[in-house]
Amino acid sequence: MSTMVPKPSTTLAPASRFPDIELLDHAGNPRRLSQLVAGDPIVLQFFRGFWCPKEQAFFRRLVALQDEAEVAYSRIVSISVDAPRVNAAFRAGLGARWTFLSDPDRAVQAQLGLRESTDTLNDPYVPAVFTLHPDLTIHAAYDGYWFWGRPTLEELRRDMRAISRAIRPDWEAPAAGP
Amino acid sequence: MMSWRWIDLVPARLPGALAVAVARDARTGAAAGWLVAWEGRARPTPTALRIDARAIDPNGDAALVSLVLAPAGVSLPFDDLAVQQARRAVLARSTPAAVNSTLLRDSSRFMGALTAIRDVAGGLDDDPFARVFPARRLLVGAGLLGTMPAPAGPTIERYGSDQPWPWDRFRAS
Repeated sequence: MSTMVPKPSTTLAPASRFPDIELLDHAGNPRRLSQLVAGDPIVLQFFRGFWCPKEQAFFRRLVALQDEAEVAYSRIVSISVDAPRVNAAFRAGLGARWTFLSDPDRAVQAQLGLRESTDTLNDPYVPAVFTLHPDLTIHAAYDGYWFWGRPTLEELRRDMRAISRAIRPDWEAPAAGP
Repeated sequence: MMSWRWIDLVPARLPGALAVAVARDARTGAAAGWLVAWEGRARPTPTALRIDARAIDPNGDAALVSLVLAPAGVSLPFDDLAVQQARRAVLARSTPAAVNSTLLRDSSRFMGALTAIRDVAGGLDDDPFARVFPARRLLVGAGLLGTMPAPAGPTIERYGSDQPWPWDRFRAS
């Protein structure tokens, strides 16, 4: 018996456009990435699952970042193969106030080529983080298979600053009048 | 695209409305008036408040509503810490409401919030904004309230000072 593994249909490199995927959110509603991004920069995170200690450590980083993101017109979206209710429970436990998306049938995972091939038990997403412009252009891509490959908070802040500077026409504060 | 509408709870139907629905007390069934929405820049009634435009749908179904309103003569700055924390609590929910919008008097004053659900098990018992100002529980008929996409989070700020939250983008420049 042979197993067909679909080839990824996209390239996830800086300057390329991230696919406008649609998945169920943690409440079971279909959500399109472009709708969640609206007009803001975004940190798009793919994670293995709640059970992974590395993910738990990285989520603590993102939860720390949300206190800044909530006032900085920036989005965070996290995606796993877990079902919406599992993601909802994980999200609540973390105290995360951003949207989690679920890909339990792994269709988007195959489209993106982000299956962690070394875990044949869970078939999770390979940990990866992308920072995107509002039009879904990839600013930076981080391969988190090894923990040190993941972005630090400083790298995420720099990415959010660079994207914001590029997309906000009033990035330079207007000069005071006479 | 204008990001907000006007809304008011009034004792009788008023002309010129974008959408209107009868409101009843959810516990007693007693008449509570008419919930009315308007378009336009000019305030249609002295007590009308700004609401996220996505909340209003003349074709929307009936809904159970938590209507939080500041007492007469009272308001809070939109950036008051209690209002900030209520916004965070809304984002932390596992089950988003069909409608959730802050209600503004103008570009700086928070006057309340409107939350609507259609699945009664959806968690209207805990309205974070009800910890800021008193809440009324209303059954609102069809023809007024739509279904908004849940806010993506984690943003609690408004996209421009005259916008109700959670309207989620700046005007195109």
